[in-house]
Amino acid sequence: MMLALLILLPLVFALVVAARPAEHARSIALVGTLVALVACVAAMRTFDWSDAADTGQLGGSVAWLPALGLHLSVGVDSVALLLIALTALLGPLCVLGSWTAITEQRRTFYAWLLVLQAAMTGVFASRDLVLFYVCFEFTLIPMYVLISLFGSTNRRAAATKFFLYTFTGSLLTLAGLLYVAWFVARPEQHGAWTFDIGVLTAHAPRMSGMEQGWVLLALLAGFAVKVPLFPVHTWLPLAHTEAPTAGSVILAGVLLKLGTYGIYRFALPIAPAAVLEYAPLIAGLSVVGIVYAGLVCWVQTDVKKLVAYSSVSHLGFCVLGLVALNGAGLSGSVMYMINHGLSTGALFLLVGMMYERYHTRSMRELGGLAAKMPVWATFMVFFAMASVGLPGLNGFVSEFLCIMGAFQADDGWGRFGDLPGATPGRLGPWFGFAAGTGVIIAAMYLLYMVGRMCFGPLIEPGGHGGAHGHGDEHARDGGLPADLTGREIGALLPLAALCLALGVYPSPLLDSIREPVNATVAHVLGNAEGGGGAPARPVAPGTVHAEGGQ
Amino acid sequence: MVGGLAGMTGLMAAAAGGDGALAAGTVAGPWWVVLIPLLPMAGVVLTLVCAIFDVRSKAPAWMSVGCLAGSFGLAVLAYFELAGGPTAVTFGFRWIDVAWGEGPGQRLSADFAFAFDGLTCLWMLFVTGLATLIALYASEYMSHDVGVGYCRFFAAFNLFVFSMACLVMADNLLLLFLGWEGVGLCSYLLIGYFYKKPSAVAAAKKAFIMNRIGDLGLLMGMLLTFVQFGTLKYAELWPLVEPFVAAVRAGHADEVPFLVGLIPVLFMVGAFGKSAQLPLYVWLPDAMEGPTPVSALIHAATMVTAGVYLVARTYPLFLVSEWALPVVAWVGALTALLAATIGMAQFDIKRIMAYSTVSQLGYMFCGMALLTSVGGAFHVFTHAFFKATLFLCCGAVMHGFAGQLDLRRLSGVGLMPGWRIVGLAMLVGCLNLAGFPFTAGFFSKDMILADAFVTAGPGYSAIGWILLVTAGLTAYYTFRVFFRVFVGPVEYEPGDEHHGDSHDAHDDHAEHETAHVEHGHGFHPHAPGWAINLVLALLAVGSIAAAGAYFVYADHHGWVGHLLHGSPAEPTHEAAFVDAHGDGDGHAEAHGSFFGLDPHKAMYFVSSAIGLVGIGVAFWLHYLGRTTAATSRADALLPKVGPVARWAQGKWYVDELYDAVIVKPLWVLSHVLHMFDKLVVDGLVNAAGWLPRMIGRAVRPSQGGVLHGYAVQMACGIAFALVIVWLMTL
Amino acid sequence: MSGSWTIAQASLPAPMDGVTLAHYLVVSAAMFAIGLVGFLTRRNLIIMFLCTELMFQAAGIALIAFSRFHLHMTGQTFVIFVLTVAAAEAALALALVVLLYRRKDSLSADEWAELKG
Repeated sequence: MMLALLILLPLVFALVVAARPAEHARSIALVGTLVALVACVAAMRTFDWSDAADTGQLGGSVAWLPALGLHLSVGVDSVALLLIALTALLGPLCVLGSWTAITEQRRTFYAWLLVLQAAMTGVFASRDLVLFYVCFEFTLIPMYVLISLFGSTNRRAAATKFFLYTFTGSLLTLAGLLYVAWFVARPEQHGAWTFDIGVLTAHAPRMSGMEQGWVLLALLAGFAVKVPLFPVHTWLPLAHTEAPTAGSVILAGVLLKLGTYGIYRFALPIAPAAVLEYAPLIAGLSVVGIVYAGLVCWVQTDVKKLVAYSSVSHLGFCVLGLVALNGAGLSGSVMYMINHGLSTGALFLLVGMMYERYHTRSMRELGGLAAKMPVWATFMVFFAMASVGLPGLNGFVSEFLCIMGAFQADDGWGRFGDLPGATPGRLGPWFGFAAGTGVIIAAMYLLYMVGRMCFGPLIEPGGHGGAHGHGDEHARDGGLPADLTGREIGALLPLAALCLALGVYPSPLLDSIREPVNATVAHVLGNAEGGGGAPARPVAPGTVHAEGGQ
Repeated sequence: MVGGLAGMTGLMAAAAGGDGALAAGTVAGPWWVVLIPLLPMAGVVLTLVCAIFDVRSKAPAWMSVGCLAGSFGLAVLAYFELAGGPTAVTFGFRWIDVAWGEGPGQRLSADFAFAFDGLTCLWMLFVTGLATLIALYASEYMSHDVGVGYCRFFAAFNLFVFSMACLVMADNLLLLFLGWEGVGLCSYLLIGYFYKKPSAVAAAKKAFIMNRIGDLGLLMGMLLTFVQFGTLKYAELWPLVEPFVAAVRAGHADEVPFLVGLIPVLFMVGAFGKSAQLPLYVWLPDAMEGPTPVSALIHAATMVTAGVYLVARTYPLFLVSEWALPVVAWVGALTALLAATIGMAQFDIKRIMAYSTVSQLGYMFCGMALLTSVGGAFHVFTHAFFKATLFLCCGAVMHGFAGQLDLRRLSGVGLMPGWRIVGLAMLVGCLNLAGFPFTAGFFSKDMILADAFVTAGPGYSAIGWILLVTAGLTAYYTFRVFFRVFVGPVEYEPGDEHHGDSHDAHDDHAEHETAHVEHGHGFHPHAPGWAINLVLALLAVGSIAAAGAYFVYADHHGWVGHLLHGSPAEPTHEAAFVDAHGDGDGHAEAHGSFFGLDPHKAMYFVSSAIGLVGIGVAFWLHYLGRTTAATSRADALLPKVGPVARWAQGKWYVDELYDAVIVKPLWVLSHVLHMFDKLVVDGLVNAAGWLPRMIGRAVRPSQGGVLHGYAVQMACGIAFALVIVWLMTL
Repeated sequence: MSGSWTIAQASLPAPMDGVTLAHYLVVSAAMFAIGLVGFLTRRNLIIMFLCTELMFQAAGIALIAFSRFHLHMTGQTFVIFVLTVAAAEAALALALVVLLYRRKDSLSADEWAELKG
């Protein structure tokens, strides 16, 4: 029951934070998140990596409402475990990033932060649909509190929009999931109510093509908003901009991944024929999002908004890889979930550190900060490059694989003969090319940001001119020096190290997700017979053909 | 971090099978080959450690020189041990490895593995060799920035050599891409070295983005290669390409699949971006914002030749494509001409050299395209030496004259005491660039020029004429610089920078103030010290000695041909392809002629003559009778050619054109999209939120607050429901 | 569905002659109507409260009648629940009414109309 421990630990520490005086809140939260991180590392050591596709590892099940088929059932495969690890890693970094930024209502802040971590871990660990959904929705509450209490000027509106927008979408998801459960509960299927994700995904592909289409639409309604996919992305820039640093980091690092994880875990296996049929549409939206959000990034003046829009652009790659429905695309997508969490999380931390010193996010009022904050600028350039997708850093591996997945996945390659590198699918080179232009655009806006913020003549907002002594700033900014403190560097270094490590040596990670990813691909393609005009494929023994997606 | 990595490896012990299985035709390379890229990487780490500990001495430079020299030494060792043998592959570790099946093409595997053949060897020798020398030069050149800036410079410098080594030594296209983008990053970092200068920041950004546009082509080409052949490893790729090469050689060019013919076209886009060819050349002249050693190493000698390297490395693919090589030839020739015309009209000597680099890169591409890969590679090799020499001479001038680069404000530099070596080195460089008889540049350029008249292809003889004209122009603008700046009446005016390159992150570097003092009103140029002089002397000697490579191994068209023997760019393909690609079958036509003479022999005389004419014109216009730095005889002539000179000086307004046609519209589009996002996309969302609120407002009056009202409503509701139920039971 | 909760027929008293389900339902409906009309027409909070109780019991009678009719105990169980809840609720409601009376010195429901949209 390592996973139960991982979920409960932050909750216990949240209670401790709430019970102890406010001045201890951040230290307790730091200890709590570090303990959770240690527990997570222990869980990773216990995990049987040779059987990475087994989704029930480290878990267990407790009856909840057995009459309805509900169980508190947890368990992970390597994909889920890696995302839990990402969550656990970002925990202490968020606490460190908020160390001096949050000065009031500390208990509320850190307690909810810990609750949020528990909820996110719960999402990835769930093996029960209802438990998943409860955790999935519960993440909204802590996030709502964090944004609406600790955000900047327009926080209320942002929090409300974030809550209502994502909540509305997920209600449709609930409807879709319940339909699936109802379908599986039919006598000719499983025959009894069950919410076990494994059972559901095994039976659900037998839904008719039309049913699958509607279920996919319902699932995407929630997951696409969460990702966010163009054109349902507009809550994100607002929420990111207004959220406190830790909120932005969690939001970009993990919460967005709930959407892609949902697609990976539910949409693909439950409605394979529909996914295959609508893959060009979904991929089209992703690609439009990549280019569109990238261009919008380019004209931002608010640096945090720029990074927020860049998330929209980046997550487009992630979804593109998912709907490529081949090994490269899915591996790339899973890698992207982790890599984006690292690099964009770090960018938000950096922006937060800058904001703490200058109290502005406007690139009109800031410039050339490398002269004042060389260490900060170094990290900024580093993480911008990771985000740009420079080979050797983490972003490249995932971005390349996503683009490659889309590029390969085309039945149309058949026109050119039996090409060894082609995979079945309905995307193709143009999707790869369009996504590839996103790589150029990423360079445009991120270098624009770096060029404005770090380089050029030093520009500081009024009151921070060069003539000002350091003492003055100390008084105002809670004793923060001009450049980063050891604590802040400590928050960034693990991320930087991981970005580099995953860029130079990603193969352990790629190996670990190979089995689950390939199992998913086999499940989807094996069950999508007749869907989307794809050629017939061998079906794994024991599975029943779908009635056809058309 | 290393510990963490190791831990992770152990943790995720998902077996993937011991890799490094060798493809046919390759042998396992010795382990020390990995040190060639690793030593510069060690240099990066060392200089970064210096930066962290705020080392304020020249230690980072010496560490870098040491690491790079070690790398060069190993490259030389590799030359003696490995060149000439089969490709030696040294496996490092697995990098990206994704498998989705057992069959061929169902596994993408790209390792950190280094392949060493003659082509690699050629590039690595001059990359590491020049990097060592230029690092030594930079130790003096950058001395005013000793401190964090110095460390930053050398860290990026070493990282560049590491990336370049990855690019050149990669055994698969993906690792080449890593190096490819890595050198782009270093180029970005080093162009933007003086990061307080907005023009430097803009130039750095421009270089990176322009390169990325090309990189997209390379990326797409790689993906297409994978789809077509199912592998990105050279050793597995060439056997698969071989049948197509054979088909073309047998005259069945139509047997080559469309996609195979498309791959080199996509690679070409990448090569044009990296090597600053039309239409992506505009970043290179701007890149001169970087410190001069960077311009010499990255933007003249090594990185910009990566495009040529890519063509050479994937030469079999280019050979089988119908359109790839003619396009390369024409783009190369036109770029050579265009850049030369711009170079003639500039006043900034570093920019002139930059345009000359663009122009010479055009020659190299022509060389590749005209089926004289040896000529192309030889020109890369000789150009690396003499262009580095030229840049470093310009750098010495810049260093000594407070950043002065305007050829109208400097004169007779080479005649001043302490500047002799600079002057002589410059002369050697200029003679090479101008193609003066019996210099290295002369031989390498001739190989290309002659083959333009030999090889049959669409308009190739026109290309030959373009290249000949360009050779004349090159001689002119090269010696324009020499005659105005290095000889003539001694006259100088300091530049506006306190020293060659002034900026540093910290304004309060008291210890640097000493450097400023001497640049008061009584300006004295400070002559280069031993490091700069030594490097210039060595490079000048190298430039001359490079000519020797033409005379050895005559059976392989010289030393470079000898090296390329057995590599993908092997020239033995040529003869057969001349026939295959040419329309006619006649030997005479295939071998072409130059007014009835054998082009290879005639070209010695023709190009010598043209080079001498160019030098002569420069001598007449810019040396004879010139009494001041600012004016020359050319000034009187210029008005007679009308606005053309002004247009050339304005770089034919290509930058402005791009700005107006691409950048501005994109900028406007982005703003429009931003507005669209705000008003329409988000507007719809807000409308969705607005609708329930409006409905609520409409039905609100029904909630009167009177209890009985609610009760009546409820009763009515129940009654209504009952009626419905009753109706349904009917 | 009807298996486990059916009580054995033998142990039950014989149904009253001539009294059918409809009779019970008529009584129930009448009680409900009286309660409803009372609720809608009276203004006194206590009377209104009593009227709601009347409607409750009307529903209870119907449930018990159905329960007996179907020989299914769920209805009766439900009524026991309702009675319990109603008892608790009566205590609460009367306490509320007392509080309301103290505020306005009146038992009229019309006094309380602040909660309008």
